[in-house]
Amino acid sequence: MLYAARAPKPSAELDFSLLWLAMGLLAIGLVMVYSASIAIAEAARYTHHNGEYYLLRQGIFIAMGVGVGMAAFRVPMRVWQQAAPYLFLAGLLLLVVVLIPHIGREVNGSRRWIPLGFANLQPSELMKFLAVLYAADYTTRKAAFMHDFKKGFLPMAAVMMLAGALLLREPDFGAFVVIVSIAMGILFLGGLNWKVFAGLVVVLLIGFVLLILTSPYRLQRVLGFMDPFADPYGKGYQLSHALIAFGRGEWLGLGLGGSIEKLFYLPEAHTDFLMAVIAEEFGFVGVVVVVALFAWLIVKAFLIGHRAAQLERNFCALVAQGIGIWIGVQALINMGVNVGLLPTKGLTLPFLSFGGSGIIANCLAVAILLRIDWEHRQMMRGKTF
Amino acid sequence: MNYHSRKLLKLNLAPWRMATVGGLLLAGLTVVAGRAFYLQGLNTDYLQGKGDAVSNRNLTLPAHRGQVTDRYGQLLAISTPVESLWARAADLNLSADQRVHLARVLDISPAELAKTLTRKTRGEFSVRRPVTPEQAVKIAAMGLPGLTLQREYRRYYPAGAVTAQVVGFTNVDDKGQEGVERAYQDWLAGRAGERQILRDRHGNTIRDLAPIKTAQMGGNLTLSLDLKIQYLAHRELAAAIEKHKAKGGSIVVLDAKTGEILALVNQPVFNPNNRQNYKPDLMRNRAVIDTFEPGSTVKPFVAAAVLERGLFHPDSVIETPDNFRVGNKLVHDEHHHPELTVTEIIQKSSNVGAAKMAMTLTPQQHWEVLHRAGFGQLPGSGFPGETAGRLRDPATWKPVEQATMAYGYGLSVSLLQLTRAYMAFANDGEVMPLSFLKREPQEIVGERVFSPTVAREVRAMMETVTQEGGTGTLTRVPGYRVAGKTGTAHKLVNGHYAPDRYLASFVGMAPASNPRLIIGVTIDEPSDGVYYGGSVAGPVFAQVMAASLRLLGLPPDAPETETKMTENAVSARGGA
Repeated sequence: MLYAARAPKPSAELDFSLLWLAMGLLAIGLVMVYSASIAIAEAARYTHHNGEYYLLRQGIFIAMGVGVGMAAFRVPMRVWQQAAPYLFLAGLLLLVVVLIPHIGREVNGSRRWIPLGFANLQPSELMKFLAVLYAADYTTRKAAFMHDFKKGFLPMAAVMMLAGALLLREPDFGAFVVIVSIAMGILFLGGLNWKVFAGLVVVLLIGFVLLILTSPYRLQRVLGFMDPFADPYGKGYQLSHALIAFGRGEWLGLGLGGSIEKLFYLPEAHTDFLMAVIAEEFGFVGVVVVVALFAWLIVKAFLIGHRAAQLERNFCALVAQGIGIWIGVQALINMGVNVGLLPTKGLTLPFLSFGGSGIIANCLAVAILLRIDWEHRQMMRGKTF
Repeated sequence: MNYHSRKLLKLNLAPWRMATVGGLLLAGLTVVAGRAFYLQGLNTDYLQGKGDAVSNRNLTLPAHRGQVTDRYGQLLAISTPVESLWARAADLNLSADQRVHLARVLDISPAELAKTLTRKTRGEFSVRRPVTPEQAVKIAAMGLPGLTLQREYRRYYPAGAVTAQVVGFTNVDDKGQEGVERAYQDWLAGRAGERQILRDRHGNTIRDLAPIKTAQMGGNLTLSLDLKIQYLAHRELAAAIEKHKAKGGSIVVLDAKTGEILALVNQPVFNPNNRQNYKPDLMRNRAVIDTFEPGSTVKPFVAAAVLERGLFHPDSVIETPDNFRVGNKLVHDEHHHPELTVTEIIQKSSNVGAAKMAMTLTPQQHWEVLHRAGFGQLPGSGFPGETAGRLRDPATWKPVEQATMAYGYGLSVSLLQLTRAYMAFANDGEVMPLSFLKREPQEIVGERVFSPTVAREVRAMMETVTQEGGTGTLTRVPGYRVAGKTGTAHKLVNGHYAPDRYLASFVGMAPASNPRLIIGVTIDEPSDGVYYGGSVAGPVFAQVMAASLRLLGLPPDAPETETKMTENAVSARGGA
């Protein structure tokens, strides 16, 4: 009895480092969203000049995300796999719904949101999570054809192109890139013939060279982001101010709340360009901390996936690593845009940027990672799933 | 069926693939960190410079504009703080009620207000500069979002129209546009200071960075004007313009000893404190900027020219028939005098006599005297836009032109220029440089134009103008001897001399024994039937001269009898 009392409780078998990692990212995000948004919120009419407007909402989103994550954690991975195709279908349906006029809400020329009264649902954020589930399930099911371009790659490509086309209709180019990355990454991990990928890379390279040869101006437009100070009041406006924020931050930053660029110079400071505000207020040290947290999260996801593979739980392995790819690619693109390495494409920073759907989807992802890890721990004790 | 049992379909999840994907992601993050290292560690100066260029602003600290006073310290122009209403486009958010209320306070229609408030869609712009203190209080009480009251300095001219054309005025940005305000802009304006601030994108100050320069107060300016003389000149001129139904006129009062301009007035005139419906025509300082053909007022210079060359004495007798032919032109005198002395030619203003005297000179000699007197050259008062008049090259003069030039046609002058030239007669041959600023007597160096003898001789001739038999008997001043010359010139209209349009003028000095004041008067197109310089400009001269002499407290130099005659003259004028 004494021994039994000292045995760890099931709840203690969670990967707490992963949980705290996610919580840490959410907390940093909450603080930085507040810092980045105070001035904007106080100046805006729709917030009734309430400086805590975004803080309050981001707090509610995080609470909702934690709630959704706790619920998702209770669902066995087996159920997730069985539901994956249907969930993906439902996701596609939402992508269609958002495009219907009068239902989808248009902001700044993009139709990305479905108003739900208290908040807006952004199907593309959810779709990233569903794409992970679906691609993992597909790859597991089609394991036998992974060497085959026609039977292995093309059906998946067709489905992803359908989702991609819907996303580009909104348009949401960022989500398109993330979802394509997830699908390709999972296919690659699932053992799809590497020659297919080699071929894809060659095709992309040829296309790129053709682009340069046929219309240099188009290339100019694609690469225009490289020098934002060439047109600092037009196309380069946003990026030039993001870079200025980095430059002002130096090593240790101007201190929390000290950002100047967030004072209306930098648009989307609390969403797409939150990283620039972090860089300005906490300097290179702050940037490295955030980058390291994301690296750690990715490593965690891949290690959990690796463990699942060892346990021959292929779906779980692909889901875990798919989540790693998702979070990794999205963070990479967002930060790449912030530091001027990639063209501005409207993608938020996972866990940190303001936005309800994104936060909830990210929490779902972490909950699934925790669930997979938890199931492993249970299997170690002889339980099967 | 448990999905783990599907052995055949089992995937082979190769560790190298996981390592590749994971490694790529981590490599990407490393590149991002490396880029951040470059931006935040190595390229900071460049980026911060770009940022500062956008967010740092040098604010100007307005310098208080110096005041302008007359020679005794009477205020002519002062800067007073006022409030101006400015709008910031991004924050403009007025309710319908507020709009109606604001329109009422500003005394404009709501439509006009709406138009003003949508003048610009970004940045800051002025709504009303300035608002009255009452309006400012009401607007401040309303607390309108996006509208702010800003302190500015507005110029106020206590003497109003009386000094308007001399002092000039500033524009809405407090920059001198006309007159002394323009001529001495740099001195009056001082130097605005600067401080550097950090601003957000909406223009709000986040914090002060550094004061760069402190503001330097504008300097004060003491003009040579005597406001009392200026005022009475203004009054007399206005009265004469009305009496003679004239188009306009000017008076210049000079201190003969110093060249200082004691008064300078024109008609028509404007109110510099209310320029809402101004006409540029009213703002013109005619005495300095406009030219006219001087007519008989140049005859003393011809007399001086022949005297100084010893060609004639004041008492030399010259035959003066009614008509005198030069080339194909007949020079004509209106009054019949078979022969006149040189003095009488001046006294009675004989065109024939003046022409005959002039014809004894070569064109070069004739020109040289006029040139020495300052005709055809800038008078040097420093007033913006002052004119040099016109004096043609003597090589191009035909005899007939030289003849007409003797009695004031074919050349043009400004009143200021003409009055200045008379300084040579008043000041024993020396002309003092003109000045609109008060000067200390010791800093003045004159320019010799005539010998003292010639100057006194001509002055004596001009004194006879005001005596019985002269053309200027209405210019006499009780208690003082007056010397001067009348002028009645036909005006040039479209290249022809109009038979019925005249410019009546008189330039004179007193006390004639040792002149202290020179006063030039022009009346443009008197149209009540009287048009002789002596009868139109002369009485104005007399009034201004009499009052000015009294104001300056100059001792009378005329014998008692002279005074009586003047009284007769005044009553005669009243009866006419």
